[in-house]
Amino acid sequence: MVFQTLSMMVRSRGPDEFWRKRKIFKLSAHFRGRARNCYSIAIRAVHRALAYATKGRKLKKEDMAQLWETRVTAGCEEHGLTYPVLREGLVRSNILLNRKTLADLAIWEPFTFKVRLVSTRVIWLELYR
Amino acid sequence: MTRVWHLFDATWQNPLQCAPLIAKYLQGRHKPIYHPLNDCGDHVVVINSLRIALPGSEWRWRVYFHHTGYPGGASWTPAWQLHDKDPTMIVKKAVYSSMKGNLQRRVTMQRLHIFPDDQIPEDVLANLTHKLRPLRPTPDPLDSYDAEQVETFPKLVDYPEDYVLR
Repeated sequence: MVFQTLSMMVRSRGPDEFWRKRKIFKLSAHFRGRARNCYSIAIRAVHRALAYATKGRKLKKEDMAQLWETRVTAGCEEHGLTYPVLREGLVRSNILLNRKTLADLAIWEPFTFKVRLVSTRVIWLELYR
Repeated sequence: MTRVWHLFDATWQNPLQCAPLIAKYLQGRHKPIYHPLNDCGDHVVVINSLRIALPGSEWRWRVYFHHTGYPGGASWTPAWQLHDKDPTMIVKKAVYSSMKGNLQRRVTMQRLHIFPDDQIPEDVLANLTHKLRPLRPTPDPLDSYDAEQVETFPKLVDYPEDYVLR
């Protein structure tokens, strides 16, 4: 298509319709029902899905942090310690482990985790002696 | 998968405070391997649910709502009345409402076994391996001490001869 005038160029919808729609259909390939194959429904569903994905990137991090916290709390309570006490003690004894590592230790290395707890407990005992 | 059976004695315990604790064991949040999808919850057997202690005037003012679904089918039952009808109901409802409402909740509740007194069926008793620590100490009522213990209990002062006790 050759654009003779500027106004014609503005009205043009860009690249070829097939390829433009194909980009959307590739994103909607796993949707259910007509949201997969009907363009006008698919594009709305894709927009919504992308918006959810944007939100989800943040929520996933929060959910994982919450899960690790639950797991570390469970590990602490097996040895009679609470989570805030553990965090504070770890910082004071200069053991800089994040929640993910602590949760992994609590699951796979219970004795390593216990050593961490003991070291924090020593710190607390020294504080309140 | 092996599930642990925990025993919880509800004597003199506040069910509203115990509910999150019981829910934690039912859902398996006391294990480091916890994940909402991996179904690692345990069984909890609550005994003596007849002898729970609600704080203050909760027995009178805590009201349980029920609706049959028909017009005019609403009913409000005070806690003391509900406890008269079914002594396990207050604990059950407290645990149920302390969990998030999702598809897993009713399945999780199946692992909660409540008994009004300390009589546990043999098949349940055979599974028990662990006892949960009560949240508050259970005081012994005065009439559980015998006369000699009361007499020899250390006291600060004696009442004067002419003091009138009533």
